[in-house]
Amino acid sequence: MPDIITVQNLTKQYGDFTAVDGINFSVRQGETFGILGPNGAGKTTTLEMVEGLKQITNGSAVLDGHDVKTEPRMVKSLIGVQLQASSFFDGLNLKELVETFAALYGRTVDALALLREVQLEEKRKSQVKELSGGQKQRLSIAMALVNDPKVLFLDEPTTGLDPQARRNLWELIESIKAKGKTIVLTTHYMEEAEVLCDRVAIMDHAKIIALDTPINLIKQSGVGSTLEFHVDRAVALELVWALPGVDRVTNADHGFTMLTTDPEQTLPALFNLEQRERFKLYNLQLRQATLEDVFLKSTGHSLRE
Amino acid sequence: MNTTVKLTSSSIKMFVRNRQAVFFTLFVPIIIMTIFGLIGFDSVAKIDVGLVTGTPSPPTQQFVDRLQGISAFDVTMGNEPDERRALEQGDRSVVFVIPDALMPAGESQPVQQTVKALVNVGEQQQAQTAISVVRQVLDKTNLAVVGAPELFAVATEEVNSRNLKYIDFLLPGIVALAIMQMSVFSTAFIFVDYKEKGILKRLLATPMKPYQFVTANVVTRLLVAVVQAVILIAVGVFAFKAHVIGSLWLLLPAVVLGGIMFLGLGFAISGVARTVEAVPAIANLVVFPMLFLGGTFFPLEIMPTWLQGIVQYLPLTYLSDALREVMRNGGGWAAINYDLAWMTAWSVVLVSLANLTFGFEEKRV
Repeated sequence: MPDIITVQNLTKQYGDFTAVDGINFSVRQGETFGILGPNGAGKTTTLEMVEGLKQITNGSAVLDGHDVKTEPRMVKSLIGVQLQASSFFDGLNLKELVETFAALYGRTVDALALLREVQLEEKRKSQVKELSGGQKQRLSIAMALVNDPKVLFLDEPTTGLDPQARRNLWELIESIKAKGKTIVLTTHYMEEAEVLCDRVAIMDHAKIIALDTPINLIKQSGVGSTLEFHVDRAVALELVWALPGVDRVTNADHGFTMLTTDPEQTLPALFNLEQRERFKLYNLQLRQATLEDVFLKSTGHSLRE
Repeated sequence: MNTTVKLTSSSIKMFVRNRQAVFFTLFVPIIIMTIFGLIGFDSVAKIDVGLVTGTPSPPTQQFVDRLQGISAFDVTMGNEPDERRALEQGDRSVVFVIPDALMPAGESQPVQQTVKALVNVGEQQQAQTAISVVRQVLDKTNLAVVGAPELFAVATEEVNSRNLKYIDFLLPGIVALAIMQMSVFSTAFIFVDYKEKGILKRLLATPMKPYQFVTANVVTRLLVAVVQAVILIAVGVFAFKAHVIGSLWLLLPAVVLGGIMFLGLGFAISGVARTVEAVPAIANLVVFPMLFLGGTFFPLEIMPTWLQGIVQYLPLTYLSDALREVMRNGGGWAAINYDLAWMTAWSVVLVSLANLTFGFEEKRV
């Protein structure tokens, strides 16, 4: 797939403060690209520069062949934007709101069809203030779709939502993705990035510190998986240590916790050991390394602080 | 559909559905008009007269009754010390002390009697009026007693001329005031709210040009100003019997120009105010002096000269003056072009100011 967004040496400077420090990335057509990082890492600023909402101090952002710096209005007509905590006019119902926003692009839309797509059709006569948090976010996505954009930008779409509403919104985003839209989203939820994104850029202190698919990021980080189990009788620690891929083992009584870089090798060997040494495994648990672990390892601090 | 047209129709819907805006746009001016209309500054204030009597003879009592019946007097009866005190406290303009046997009774030769008048020095004019009325009543009685015929009479005939009343002064002022309040407050509140909620930023993320959104809102409010003027004038004419003499069409340029002028002020304020809470403080600081001094409730002429020298240049003064020239005095273009010229100048100043302070983008460091 060709690249639809190319960002080169993108920099945002507020006086002495560098909010975004010379970052590079590109987004492929049809993929869901995530920018992951803690608050204040520069995610939103990056997004808003690419959207043409913030002046670019240095570097460039090109979207579908149009330079954001020189053709901001053209770029704006090609993208759909959901801002962090964006709200909409009071005094108009949802249908009227969608139609008004379509007019901003010089378009007319089938407002009801669009509201149906985000499961808000039955709310078409309601006003924004009557909606729940999740409904507001869905409306805001509908608004970002009024111009049938080539790229959809979502800035922390699920922040502040309860788990149910969050899953609901993930489904909506997946369904939009299934229609072939390119989506760029920011999040500080690891799980969200892992579930939704084809590729993830990890941002910290104004820089991108890693960029790959979630799986590769986890693999390349060398952060292993954690394997936990109990045994029914005493097993020598050395035997467990000797299993392939094992990094570290601790045990207390009959409980073992071990770190493995290669669970696909370690697990079968563990089962063989069980057969050979005639003990029984209880409560076997394998916990995959997550982006959370990757982030912790590569930045030295946790994502939420 | 054309973006600006659609935005305008949406903006009109939003304005009309905003109960608060409608309340302040129409009901508040009508309430103010009602209050000031009911106070009725037209009726000349009555003269506070105190009457001191002892035990008057029947003819004297008749004389006292006649005085009490005089509509220009607000009569209080009492004893002399009480009435003196009331006079000293400024509650009376004049106090008459009436002897018991003021009026001649029976056939006996009348003796000259004296009515003592205690005059409030601070209200000479009212006191003198009251004294001359009392003297007139006494003269008549005098003539009747000596049996002289009445040689002169004044016949009054009521002619309904252009009988300008306070409401005729008030109505144009209320219309001007209402346009100012609507233009300044609805703009400042709503745009600061849009800014605070990130709505303006969201609009900037579309290819729309900011002037399209501003135009839609300005057109909406100018239409509201015209509707406002029509409704308030109708209420004034039908409910308060105000007279509108001049051409209503001539009001249109004044209303529109006044609207533009105050919308400029509203946008300038929404550029300065960072939060919705700050709007009333800033807006009232500018609007309040004009509300009282801009020729809304009373004419500039009653103010001290130095103050007139300042207030004649207030934007609201020009608008209320232009409306009054047309509505009350039946003036034509010639009567208002001076006001219109000044309003144009103010519009240029205020709209430029708005351009300086107001922007769609958050002003961040």
